[in-house]
Amino acid sequence: MMRNSIKILPGALVCEECKLRGDITIGSGTIIHPGATIIAEAGPIIIGDNCLIEEQVKIMHKLPFDHKEKEKTTPVLIIGSYNVFEVDCTVESPKIGNNNVFESKCFVGNKVTVSNGCTIGAGCKITEEQILKENIVFYGAKCMMREGLDRPVLQTLQMETLTKMLPNYHHIKKPNMKL
Amino acid sequence: MSYIIGPNVVRYSCTCGLLKPISFLYFCRYCTQLRCSFCVCHEVDSNFCGKCSENIPSSEARVKKNRCGNCYMCPSCEQELSPRIASTKAPAEGEEKVSTKKMYYLFCQFCRWSSRDVGIPDQSSVTGGWPDRENIHANRLQELLDLYKAIVLAQKQQQEKDKKQRGKYISYTDRTGVTAAALRKRIGLPADLTHPLLKSRPKEPEPMIAQTEVEKLPDDIFTKPINLMDITTIEQRLLQPESQPTTVDKLFPVHKQLSIKRTLRCKTCEHNVSKPEYNPSSVKFKIQLFAYYHIPEIRIVTVEPLRAGRPCELILKFTNPTQHQTTISFFELNLDEQEDIVENKLTEVVENVEQLSLQEKQPMSLTSQPSSSLTLSSRSPSIIIKPRKIMEYMNCNIEIPESTFVLPPRDDAAEYDDSGETHNIHDDPKLVKWRKSNKAFIKLNITPDESLPLNAEVVCGFIMQHVYTNTITGQLEKKEPQKYDHKVKVFLTLGQTVGSE
Repeated sequence: MMRNSIKILPGALVCEECKLRGDITIGSGTIIHPGATIIAEAGPIIIGDNCLIEEQVKIMHKLPFDHKEKEKTTPVLIIGSYNVFEVDCTVESPKIGNNNVFESKCFVGNKVTVSNGCTIGAGCKITEEQILKENIVFYGAKCMMREGLDRPVLQTLQMETLTKMLPNYHHIKKPNMKL
Repeated sequence: MSYIIGPNVVRYSCTCGLLKPISFLYFCRYCTQLRCSFCVCHEVDSNFCGKCSENIPSSEARVKKNRCGNCYMCPSCEQELSPRIASTKAPAEGEEKVSTKKMYYLFCQFCRWSSRDVGIPDQSSVTGGWPDRENIHANRLQELLDLYKAIVLAQKQQQEKDKKQRGKYISYTDRTGVTAAALRKRIGLPADLTHPLLKSRPKEPEPMIAQTEVEKLPDDIFTKPINLMDITTIEQRLLQPESQPTTVDKLFPVHKQLSIKRTLRCKTCEHNVSKPEYNPSSVKFKIQLFAYYHIPEIRIVTVEPLRAGRPCELILKFTNPTQHQTTISFFELNLDEQEDIVENKLTEVVENVEQLSLQEKQPMSLTSQPSSSLTLSSRSPSIIIKPRKIMEYMNCNIEIPESTFVLPPRDDAAEYDDSGETHNIHDDPKLVKWRKSNKAFIKLNITPDESLPLNAEVVCGFIMQHVYTNTITGQLEKKEPQKYDHKVKVFLTLGQTVGSE
């Protein structure tokens, strides 16, 4: 049985209706929309600063079947800073770096380690065991791969608007941690 | 919409014999015939760029090789590129104040390719100045092009000259045995004269020489691991046929290809069946004679499990799309008979083209006055479309109902009318199950063939006759709309046969 233990750092914007299960730490500046689901099944999840987690996003921390027995220590899913999870994406990755964009309706399997500055295009499904290099872009129906020149642009403007708008229409969870 | 009409289960037979769903058919009001995209004339109305919605005259489009001058496509994923602002802080000379300068670069929203990836310098204006790359073969291509143009010209001149000369002089050289060369010698002219037009031919470009020795492959070709992300795909290479880059660092933005607006014209009577509005940003039509707006639409509602040799019930929904009441009746469809008709018609075509155009219309007109059919065929047909045999099999028998039913006209307001509908239509309760505004649900009894194996696709067909009210104005002395009995062959794909209970 999982125990819910949600730690929200000051500055984070977590809507009351979102589904959070297990041991989850949310960094300051992170925005979580009401329809998002974050499930820490295999171990705790730590979300960094200034991440944007949009509606219908599913972030699951579960290990591949063959990994389950081997490891004795509980693995921790660390999600870096400035990541954007767009509407209805499913991410089961065991490790996520900084500045990544998961576009709408993409799927990242639990064997894919995401480094920094990667973009998973809309609808792309990535399941094969691999470690994504920095600034990799997946796009199109065939999941074409290319190496980007630099990291995707930050969504600062969008985040600023959301921090103003969301509290007007939603109940917000109060931060329960101190910096 | 595609989820309703997408599965190709109800198909109408076009006049040319092809089977298509109703949404793919046109209806020529002047010939009162169904037309499909294969039996209409496609004409390019206008060229336009789909991104900047700008009309480009066809002459200009030809010069620009059917591409937009301002819009670019992503060389990596063929989506449109959009300009992005990058403000660079450049200290102005002699001043301490730092002025920001707006620079633009092209960016693909889809695959995040940008013009910076391949080292194209940022531009100071939004629309342009993007450097076009020179084709390394441009000179050679131009040379060849000039040569062939000159040859075409020379041939044309030669033909004209031949035409003029013929009949003017009567040559006796072949009778007297004196050759042209000998004749020239006798009158004191040089014997062999090169053709004057051949002299004006431009110098032929040097022919390409095939090399026997090919550069050797690098030594590490088989040992060096390749990075697939650096290599272009076939699609990316073919997008730039003049350079065909093999590595991604040579991908350069491509000018966007223009789109066209088409006018569709009936080949028989030369009337338009579809004409779009000229404005590129408009999606409306000036003329849209789609069959969907004129022919009753049939949809399969339910069908009982199909068993070989057992009768089962089929419910169809008929919808009247027109503003006029129509009566629908059914006839048996016999494909063998139709073969004879096709052959008969073909012989008639050979016999008399004019006659046929009259005959085609006559059986259709309800009030078969010879005058009305004459007015219709006042425009002589340019091309007679040969009716073809319908290539479809039927393995299911339909019990053709003898009674007919009426479909009221379409009324857009009826959708919002909650009051109970009162129909003064006397329906055959065996045929019409239920009706609502301009729709009727019809029950038909069908029997799949006895010999059908399990999981065989069941196809049945019938002829639907509906009263078509022609509202073309401007007909000679005809104020009232004319009514025709229009027959359409309809094929239904009902599904697969299942085993007995």
